[in-house]
Amino acid sequence: MKHLMPSLRSKKRYLAFELFSEEPVNRGELVREVLSSASALLGDVLASECDIHVLGFEAGKGIIQCSHSKVTETRAALAAITRVNRLRATLYVLGVSGTIKRATEKYLNDDAGFEPNLKAVEE
Amino acid sequence: MGKLKCYDFCVHAVPDGDNSVEELASLARHFGYAGFALTNHSDKLPQKKPVLPSLEGFEIFRGIELVEENPSKLHGLVGKFRKNADVLIVHGGSEKVNRAAVENPSVDILNHPSFEKSSGINQVLAKAAADNEVAIGLNMRPLLHSRGSRRIRLLTDLMANLDLARKYDVQLVLSSDAMSCYDLRSPRELLALAELFGLEESEAVNALSTVPERILARNRPSPGNVREGVEVVEEVDFL
Repeated sequence: MKHLMPSLRSKKRYLAFELFSEEPVNRGELVREVLSSASALLGDVLASECDIHVLGFEAGKGIIQCSHSKVTETRAALAAITRVNRLRATLYVLGVSGTIKRATEKYLNDDAGFEPNLKAVEE
Repeated sequence: MGKLKCYDFCVHAVPDGDNSVEELASLARHFGYAGFALTNHSDKLPQKKPVLPSLEGFEIFRGIELVEENPSKLHGLVGKFRKNADVLIVHGGSEKVNRAAVENPSVDILNHPSFEKSSGINQVLAKAAADNEVAIGLNMRPLLHSRGSRRIRLLTDLMANLDLARKYDVQLVLSSDAMSCYDLRSPRELLALAELFGLEESEAVNALSTVPERILARNRPSPGNVREGVEVVEEVDFL
């Protein structure tokens, strides 16, 4: 099938995010939870308009794609995640960008990563 | 978020919640908060007063969430804790408690007002809340942790209270009501949720930043404060 012309493709936004969970979770578990949360919070109709896809997820960080006009709704759906695979979790959107490249460069490649010490009590 | 300072005015740490203040604070700072108020429930206070840790670029305020069914005892507790708390919250949930809370000008925020078949606020209480500058707390934890019929009920109550708050000019405070660090949400995420629930963007920003700052200014007079309405802004040496 012929590719859609760039001008006809739907416009997207890419959300770089960080997931804090009790134990590491894999991409499949996160995908299931993101979609179930969006469907529960927004309803199936609005959730489909958001066009949410988890593009990549590795070591607690990743990128989620959504429709450019539904960033707020997508953010809300992501914020509504409380558990992934029955483990408590919270998702934090690092930033929003119009291209995957920019989102990765700007939000995922910084060396000053944050390692919250959630288990041990620090002084 | 630019220069906007956002505050989470309802966070519970051990022994009320699951995580220590340090853990909550480090995550909240990472999320971009300027500070939060530690508001453990009054029936689950630690034996001795906790020493609040200090983090660079992050403020932790002393707060308390009062849980008391009896209105006159509630007024007593308000008087007892007011002096040492920057943020004083009442955990509502019955007509009597809600009424006592909004009629006491020493109370800062009324949380969880809804009960049985009511949103917990009516025109009388809304007017009293506006007159006494008691804010209504919009807590995210119950909304996020429930689904289906329960969440629908909670959202209906929230919208009813929002309508009344708009009509009578009642202040609103957005907070996470976090029992653990996994209940914290960043300011941007809270704004997105609030917008989805029907708040205007400006209202949501007010509820996250302006109103908390106003509450702090009221309870933490600046060093130059002489008395109500009189303040030394700048000291100048007159020869």
